Amino acid sequence: MRAYQDMVFSTAARLAGDDAQAEDISQEVFIKAYENFAHLQASPTAGGWLRTVATNLALNHLTRYRKRWRLFSEMRLNAADEDSPEPELPLPDTLLADLGADQQRVVIDDALRRLPEHQRVSLVLYHFEDLSYQEIAVRLRVSLAKVKTDIRRARAALLPMLQSSGIAP
Amino acid sequence: MNEPTQAEQELERLLHRTLRAVPLRRAPQTLESRVLGELQRRAAMPWWRRSFVHWPQVARAAFVLLCVAMAAAVVGATAAVVGATGEWAASLARAVPPEWIYDGLAVSGLLYTALFGLGIAAYRTLYRNFEIAGDLRS
Repeated sequence: MRAYQDMVFSTAARLAGDDAQAEDISQEVFIKAYENFAHLQASPTAGGWLRTVATNLALNHLTRYRKRWRLFSEMRLNAADEDSPEPELPLPDTLLADLGADQQRVVIDDALRRLPEHQRVSLVLYHFEDLSYQEIAVRLRVSLAKVKTDIRRARAALLPMLQSSGIAP
Repeated sequence: MNEPTQAEQELERLLHRTLRAVPLRRAPQTLESRVLGELQRRAAMPWWRRSFVHWPQVARAAFVLLCVAMAAAVVGATAAVVGATGEWAASLARAVPPEWIYDGLAVSGLLYTALFGLGIAAYRTLYRNFEIAGDLRS
C-alpha cells in the first residue's frame, strides 16, 4: 500500500479537487485492492489497476453527487458559452522553472482547483491519465466537442495562473 | 469545432510538459490507518450486514427463494385485487365525465411545469451564490 498510496491519492485529488474526498476515494481504492489481493499480489500491473480504479471511483464520486444538477448546470454553461482567448505567441519554453518541485506541485494543484469542475476533470484525464478526447467524451458521457472546448478553455485559464506564479527567463 | 491553432498546439505541449513533471502529492499519514481500521470494522461485521457476494451460499439461495416467493405473492394479491375491483373501477370510469379527466391532466401538467420552473430558479440562485462564495474564498 505504501508504494502506491501517493499515486492513488494524487489521482483522486486532481480529479475530485478536494483533499477530504480524495482521502475517502483512496480508502475505497485500497479496500477494493484488499478484496482483490489474491489477483494483485503477483500482478506486474498492480499499479495500473490501482490507478484505473482510483480514476473510476473518483469519476463515480463526482457523478453521484452532481448528477442531479447536471441538466441545469449544462443549461447554464451553454448559456454562458464564451470563447477562451487565443494564447499569445511566443509562449515560454517552460513554466514555473524558478520554483522547486514541491512549490510547482502546490501552484499547479491550486490552479487546478480553481478551474470549474467540468474543465478540470477533462484536463486531468487528458494530461495526467493519457485518455484521448474520444475516451474522455465516452467516460463523461458528453459530446466530443464539449470535451475539446472544456480542455481548450482549461488550458487558456491555466496559462495566466501559472505565468503569474513564475516563468523561466 | 475549429482545428487547434499553432498557438493552441504549443500551449498544449507546454502544459503537458509542465503538468507531467509535477511530483506526486504525499498521501495523508492518516490514510493507512483509516484503511486498516475500515478493513477491521468490515471484518468484524456479521455476515448478514456485509454485501450480498460475501453471504454464505445457503443464505444467498434462501434469500433468492424468499424474494421469488414474495414477488409471486405480490403479483397474486394484485391480480386478486384487480379482479375484485375491476368491475367497480370500470363503472366508475364510465361515470366520470371526460372533461374531468382532461382538466385533471391539464392541472397536473401545469403543476409539473411550475415545479420544474421553480427548481431551475432555485438552482440558478443557489448555484450562483455558491459560486460567488467559492470565488471569494479563493
